[in-house]
Amino acid sequence: MSKEYLGEFEELVLTMVGILQEEAYGNAIVIEIKARLGRESNLSAVHVTLYRLEDKGFVKSSMGGATNTRGGRRKRIFTITNAGIALLRSMKEARIDLWKMVPQLKFNY
Amino acid sequence: MSKKEIKSPPQFALNILRRVCPPDLYEGIEGDLLEQFEVDVKVAGVKKARRRFMGNAIRFLHPSIILRNKFSFDLINTIMIGNYFKVAVRNIQKRKLYSFINAFGLSIGIAFCMLIYLFTMDEKSFDQFHENRLHIYRIEEKSFDTWQHDSPDPYRKSAWIQTGLKQVLKDELPEVVRATRYNKGETAVVRYNEKVFTESLTYVDDDFFSMFSFNLLKGNANKLFKNKSDAVITSEIAKKYFGDEDPIGKTLQISLQKEASFIVAGVIEPAPVNSSLQFQIILPQEHRWGYERNLAQWGNFNTPTFVQLQPDVDLVSFKTNLDKLTDKYMGDLLKKWREEATVPIPADAKMMEYQFTQLPDWHLKTEISWDKVSDPKYSMILGGIALLILLIACINYISLALTTSASRRTEVGIRKVVGAQRNQLMYQFGFESMMLVLISLCIGIGLVIVFLPAFNQFTNKGIELNSINLLQMTTVSTGLMMVVGLVAGSYPSIFLSRFKPALVLKGGFTSKLQAGFTRPLVVVQFALSAFLIISSIVMYRQMHYITTKELGYSKEQILVIPTHTGWNIEADRYVQRFRERAQQEPLITSVTGTSSSFNQGYSRYGYKIKEVQKSAYVYAADAYYIPTLEIALLQGRNFDATIPSDSGAVIVNEALVHDMKWTDPLNEYLNWREDSVGLGSPVIGVVKDYHFLSLEKNFEPLFLSMDKSNVGYLTTMLVKVSSNDLAASVEKVKSVWKELNPNKPFDYSFLDDDVAKQYASYQRWMNIMGLATGFAILISCLGLFGLSGINTVNRTKEIGIRKVMGAELSNIFILLNRQYIGLSLIAYALAIPFSWWVMNKWLDDFQFKVTMGWELFTVSVLVGLGIALLTVSYHAIKAAFVNPAETLKYE
Repeated sequence: MSKEYLGEFEELVLTMVGILQEEAYGNAIVIEIKARLGRESNLSAVHVTLYRLEDKGFVKSSMGGATNTRGGRRKRIFTITNAGIALLRSMKEARIDLWKMVPQLKFNY
Repeated sequence: MSKKEIKSPPQFALNILRRVCPPDLYEGIEGDLLEQFEVDVKVAGVKKARRRFMGNAIRFLHPSIILRNKFSFDLINTIMIGNYFKVAVRNIQKRKLYSFINAFGLSIGIAFCMLIYLFTMDEKSFDQFHENRLHIYRIEEKSFDTWQHDSPDPYRKSAWIQTGLKQVLKDELPEVVRATRYNKGETAVVRYNEKVFTESLTYVDDDFFSMFSFNLLKGNANKLFKNKSDAVITSEIAKKYFGDEDPIGKTLQISLQKEASFIVAGVIEPAPVNSSLQFQIILPQEHRWGYERNLAQWGNFNTPTFVQLQPDVDLVSFKTNLDKLTDKYMGDLLKKWREEATVPIPADAKMMEYQFTQLPDWHLKTEISWDKVSDPKYSMILGGIALLILLIACINYISLALTTSASRRTEVGIRKVVGAQRNQLMYQFGFESMMLVLISLCIGIGLVIVFLPAFNQFTNKGIELNSINLLQMTTVSTGLMMVVGLVAGSYPSIFLSRFKPALVLKGGFTSKLQAGFTRPLVVVQFALSAFLIISSIVMYRQMHYITTKELGYSKEQILVIPTHTGWNIEADRYVQRFRERAQQEPLITSVTGTSSSFNQGYSRYGYKIKEVQKSAYVYAADAYYIPTLEIALLQGRNFDATIPSDSGAVIVNEALVHDMKWTDPLNEYLNWREDSVGLGSPVIGVVKDYHFLSLEKNFEPLFLSMDKSNVGYLTTMLVKVSSNDLAASVEKVKSVWKELNPNKPFDYSFLDDDVAKQYASYQRWMNIMGLATGFAILISCLGLFGLSGINTVNRTKEIGIRKVMGAELSNIFILLNRQYIGLSLIAYALAIPFSWWVMNKWLDDFQFKVTMGWELFTVSVLVGLGIALLTVSYHAIKAAFVNPAETLKYE
């Protein structure tokens, strides 16, 4: 499973899902990306990515939590699966190994 | 959500998304969009928020989302089809009568349309089986007609041209590959051993067999007619004379001017019914009477000619070449005609020029008279009638469906409650319509198969159902049915699926829409039927008038017998011998002879009297002609065989006297032979005008003459027999004939039959109109029957209450039927002017016609009303007898 590749945005979104835990849904992810990275992303792009990740089995979704602001519509909450976590872990390790080898990037980890 | 401002996102974007997104994902998407919208409103204001919303929403139309839809719309529908089918069948069974009415009406409409389609296809298919059809042309002449010089189109166009033209065309025009002449219509006595019959002859040239695709069963097309004693016969003729023996090489004796021997060199398949060229026995052109003489005569037009041109021919240069030919061979003749004409001829009008028509166009070209030429107008009229009937059936269907919809209300309500969407309901009712239409289609095809022979008889065609046109027919009718089903079924289904469950299930849902819609439909139906009724009555009366009108001569019990002695004095002698012999027979009352009998051709002579062009129809006669036919002699006397000068005298009719402006005809002379020395033929008698032409024409000038060499011989014998025992009389005539003329076949027809044949085509049209009217009335009545029934059911409670309050049966009857009377009167008011106009145009064809008086229209109105009343009465009476106690128990 660690042989699969994720696109850059997919990786970003997957990570966000991992961060947000119970609050991971479309709008929250957009806001979070904007807050942490200062990067504008489109709601539809996030949605599409989430669905793709779900197809690949890295996240799973369920409905829950309707609020008034949403006109009574429930949210689709995404949670990361074990496969997702395993992938993030292997990606993190692979990246760090690579970055360690760049002379200008000194790691204290 | 804030209540104060109208800040809501654009709805239609949401609608689009709702349709397009997979349902399980949609809620989340919509919610996210709305949340985003709220935030944007706070941040940037409503307008901007709406714009951003639109932008976002549109971005969601991403393939990865849209394609997540399970495209299983069909899957959903096929699940329900089983149920729809069951329900549809149950519905049909529950209301057997109305379903039957609907299906039957539609199937009649379909059957008619299909029959008309077959008819039109057959008309179009004429002559299409020839391989070279696109290269074969018929040469025609268009000449200035001095007898019609002041009409808007003073040209006569005909297919008859000069005998010498064919060889000239082949020799001098490079475009012409093959050419043949074609003469048909002559009959002769044909004999092989003891088999003697009269056959029709066709004269052609050798190229005929290679130009046209008539199947030569025996014989070599390239060698035929090299020997001028060759004859080619059809397989039917071969069987008739030779049985199963091989006819090739055998000799047939054919009497042209005298008996000659011909050797059978080929056997050809008979021409199919849809061919403009027909033949029995084919002989070379050289045997035509007067062939040698006509070859050099460029002023005699008596031979149709066909040419086959090069595939890449330039028609313009062909025409130029033809014009050059005209100048070369006819230049002097045309100049002479122009100078001698007694009427003014415009300088730019050509006296004569050649034209040509391509083979596929022959059959429908009505301006050139030819066998079996058919007016394409007729196909259109028939098509119009068929569509009319189909329209009536569709109208029926819609109004019946609408009015039965009341009973489906509850079903619709419950289906909607359980979760059916509107389009599912529309689909269901559409499906029911389609099913009914399919049933009608099957019944319709069955009707076509059953009625095809009768239809063939009606239209004088030989249409068969083979695999090709069966396939075409089915495709066309399926297509037609899809359209009908859609059109007729869509309105009811839209209407039905609109019912709101809440209103419907609570009960008491009355829809006033029904009455409003069905009334105009009924009026239209009635108007159409009324039009057909009136037209049929007028046509029938006209036909009746024509067939029973006094013609001015007696046509009953007269046999018409060709003397078969050839064009010579023998004919006259034969008639005389027959007459003398017949005097011993009491059953034969009178014998005379003439050149051509009624409706068997005519002779018309033109001549100049004092520089004015005159014309008259001419019949050869003997002294017994006028008495046998009981023609009224107004002035003067009949021919007398004992007075020798009578052989040069003439008897004229009133029209001729009028035309010549004579005041004292018995002292006049008719110089029809343009004799510059003598005065001409003395007029010895004047007869009252009689209808020697069809009733479509007015009385034309006519004279009778005993002049043998200039007018003709008595080639047709008229024998009048006593009316007591017709069969025995015919037998007697036959035996006398055999006695006097054993070698010639005895062909006879009855004079009244011959005359009636002129109107055969009108008779056919009358039949078709009558049939169409019958069907239209039937369908309209079916519709009315259904409507009135439903109306009655709707008002059951009302009737019950009225009865309790004391209404009589007659009151209820009138109450229920009042509206229909009003509707039919409106319909008639619409139909009468229209049909009057149409029938006037039709009657214009006839010189002698009936008048369309008030009684005609009144009668048809009454008939129509009567029929309508009868139809609706059934339900009205039934309702009127119902016991109120039962009806008021409804609630």
